[in-house]
Amino acid sequence: MSLSATNEDHAPRAGFASRTAGFFRRYPEAFAALLIVVLCVAVGLLNPAFWQLANLFDILRASVVRGLFALGVLMVLAAGGLDVSFSAIAALVMYAVTKAVTLFAPDMGMLSIFIMSAVGGALLGAINGLLVNTLKAPSLIVTIGTQYAYRGFLLTFIGTALFMNIPPAMDAFGQWSLMSRTAENGFTVQLPGFVLVLAVAALATWAMLRFTLIGRAVYAIGGRPDIAERLGYRVSSVQLFVFAWAGMLAGIAGIIHVSSNRLANPFDLAGIELSVISAVILGGARITGGSGSVLGTLLGVVLITLVNNVLILIGIPSSWQTAILGLFILCAGVFFVLQKRAG
Amino acid sequence: MELDAKSQPAAAPGQQRARSTPFLEVRNLHKRYGGVHALRGVSFSIERGQTYHLLGENGCGKSTLIKILSGAQPSSEGDLVIDGTPRKELDPIRALQAGIETVYQDLSLLPNLSVEENIGLTQQLVEGNGRLFRPLHGRRLRETAKGALAKVGLPTDNGFLSSRIEDLPIATRQLVAIARAIAGKAGLVIMDEPTTSLTRREVENLISVVRTLHADGVSVLFVTHKLDECKEIGGRAIVMRDGEMVRECDISEASKRELGQWMTGRELEEGRYRENPQLGDTLLQVADLSRDGRFADVSFSVAKGEILGITGLLDSGRNELALALAGVVPADSGEIRLGGERLSLPDPASANAAGVGYVPEDRLTEGLFLEKPIEDNVVMAILNRLRNMLGLVDRSKSAAVAGKLMSDLKVVAPNIKAPVQSLSGGNQQRVLIGRWLAIEPRLLILHGPTVGVDVGSKDTIFRIIQGLADTGMAVILISDDLPELLQNCDRIAVMQKGRVVATQAAESLTETALYELMGAAIRTGDAAGKTA
Repeated sequence: MSLSATNEDHAPRAGFASRTAGFFRRYPEAFAALLIVVLCVAVGLLNPAFWQLANLFDILRASVVRGLFALGVLMVLAAGGLDVSFSAIAALVMYAVTKAVTLFAPDMGMLSIFIMSAVGGALLGAINGLLVNTLKAPSLIVTIGTQYAYRGFLLTFIGTALFMNIPPAMDAFGQWSLMSRTAENGFTVQLPGFVLVLAVAALATWAMLRFTLIGRAVYAIGGRPDIAERLGYRVSSVQLFVFAWAGMLAGIAGIIHVSSNRLANPFDLAGIELSVISAVILGGARITGGSGSVLGTLLGVVLITLVNNVLILIGIPSSWQTAILGLFILCAGVFFVLQKRAG
Repeated sequence: MELDAKSQPAAAPGQQRARSTPFLEVRNLHKRYGGVHALRGVSFSIERGQTYHLLGENGCGKSTLIKILSGAQPSSEGDLVIDGTPRKELDPIRALQAGIETVYQDLSLLPNLSVEENIGLTQQLVEGNGRLFRPLHGRRLRETAKGALAKVGLPTDNGFLSSRIEDLPIATRQLVAIARAIAGKAGLVIMDEPTTSLTRREVENLISVVRTLHADGVSVLFVTHKLDECKEIGGRAIVMRDGEMVRECDISEASKRELGQWMTGRELEEGRYRENPQLGDTLLQVADLSRDGRFADVSFSVAKGEILGITGLLDSGRNELALALAGVVPADSGEIRLGGERLSLPDPASANAAGVGYVPEDRLTEGLFLEKPIEDNVVMAILNRLRNMLGLVDRSKSAAVAGKLMSDLKVVAPNIKAPVQSLSGGNQQRVLIGRWLAIEPRLLILHGPTVGVDVGSKDTIFRIIQGLADTGMAVILISDDLPELLQNCDRIAVMQKGRVVATQAAESLTETALYELMGAAIRTGDAAGKTA
């Protein structure tokens, strides 16, 4: 309430509560990290079988596609927008690329396939960016529209049939294993090679956000687009860039999805949007834009994967997982609002 | 010419000080928005290392002129000659490259970025002609920020450099914004109302910063309403009215009265507005009112027809006292009696019902619904009285109330359906006063009624306040605009550290005496004398 002009006025009131709030305000990623630790300890105590490498492999495997999507959502969210079309972009790219490679170049190498899908995804994402710029419409509305449009285009013009025989390069890539372990139940669990793709994408996104002007510009326009424009940031270029980046990651995610499932289903990946956005929010990004980090986003993704994959280990039925996820998100919401008021 | 200037962005003006060309020449500048002719041939020049004050009422074209100089908007006609180079098309980047830095009233800071980023990023952006796909030089960012912060007297430790703007108090933000403007190699720094949220001491600091800028050959253009402050700072005045430049002169040569006259085109009173007060019985009695940590043991009374001023520094508790009297943030203990009757004011609605009207300080954030019509804003507090048989708002009655108040208060607007945001600052303030007059209050609390309002509107608002007191209404005027208090009040109460330290008749007081009572004895004049 007070309009005090110096920092000193706040100093004496810094008790434990406000110091904690201050800590989470500075490092919002710590919230997801805390929940992960609490969850792991709880599950581990109730079922010691949780503590095995095979489980870690499983969680990493299950985090890759959602993680790639989440990095894209982080970019758009940090720039003050919202993207829900990434699932449709991934579906369109994965199906179109798989079909094209099978029909026209069945011997194409994995790198070429990745480049093709990255470019395809980036182009579709750029369409989002162009529409947001020209229509001056909220990006949520625009991407709801393109989500239907891309999905509709896929089903109408490219195909609806499942693709069981994926190209050999993709098949091999999906099976590529970095390490394997035999779990206590006798199954062999592998650490898939495509985990590296997520690692590379995360590093690239992190470096770009941190060490380039465009990275800072993303946060600048996410904070106050009007002021950023006045300061000489080209808001439309930044918009185009973040949506293209998100599209690119979605295209790559699509190919990994097909490779690991050994199947291209044009109906796949629908409905994943909210859980991806939730991961980014749990990782500390504000829905209003201008904040969020790669580390937090990855933690958010791991948290959601944990809830989906390990609660079953302590006998919590899968129908409850959704409820628990909802509870976490509510907690995150309340938590971040409270510390905003405290600050 | 253009290319040459780009390859050497913002060549240091300091080195060119010896050159006889002015830094900026504005020649016959016109701006048309659709049918509105906002600037009608403005010409002036800015010499190096000088202070200028751009004066004018709201809507006179000041803001338009600044937008053109900072590249936010193109001009319709006319030339800008910067450093001897004519510039046709300015965009924000080119204006910065040419050495024109602007600190807008909203400070143009990115709230979610750190102090060092806010200060240093612009420079790197400008060097690359606005291209974004370039590496960020982290170390240089920090160096730039440190240098600029040191100049304005802010800390340069890493903790402060990496703190986010949104976590800083408003006065610190203002100084960060100024640090950003002087971080580059500016030739001209434009500051739009830079002192609105600064305390006396910070204003003095700003003035000494301006003097060091002058020593480097940098000019400063202030845009302000505070004529007293302009006169203290000194320099040249550029006065605008209706999109034209009406006068340019040394500010020390013009009296406040003359300046006001050039700005408004009419005679303005400079003396006291308060004449022949007719005081009635005591209406409001406040005894030992306290709120923990904000104000303590505050006692005073106001009679019918009396205008009581309350002032103090920002941390004196005057704002909190106002909020407590209005029921917005209630007091913890003490007594408020209105007409002998004890009031408890837990919320604004009960204050309203008791006949207490409160016009908040910040009309934009606290009071008005900007996109709603004038009528809706005016009748907002009296909807209960306007109900018809069905319990719905009687539109014809509400239009009549709004229409009468608008003409009483002389609001300049096309009609009562016009959205409030289409009005000038002074007219918005009058709409807000109108809302509280609609409840026919016995006690009216005005909190900074003329903040951000031009001299012409100020005059009108003062006349309205006097008129209200003459009808027998008790008025409390809370303000840090000392001339405003001296001109309008019967008595002035001064607060310091949450307590009322003096209550005196306004006629016996002067600005200097008030400053001393407030505990802000250091005057700008002295500070200026030392640094000059």
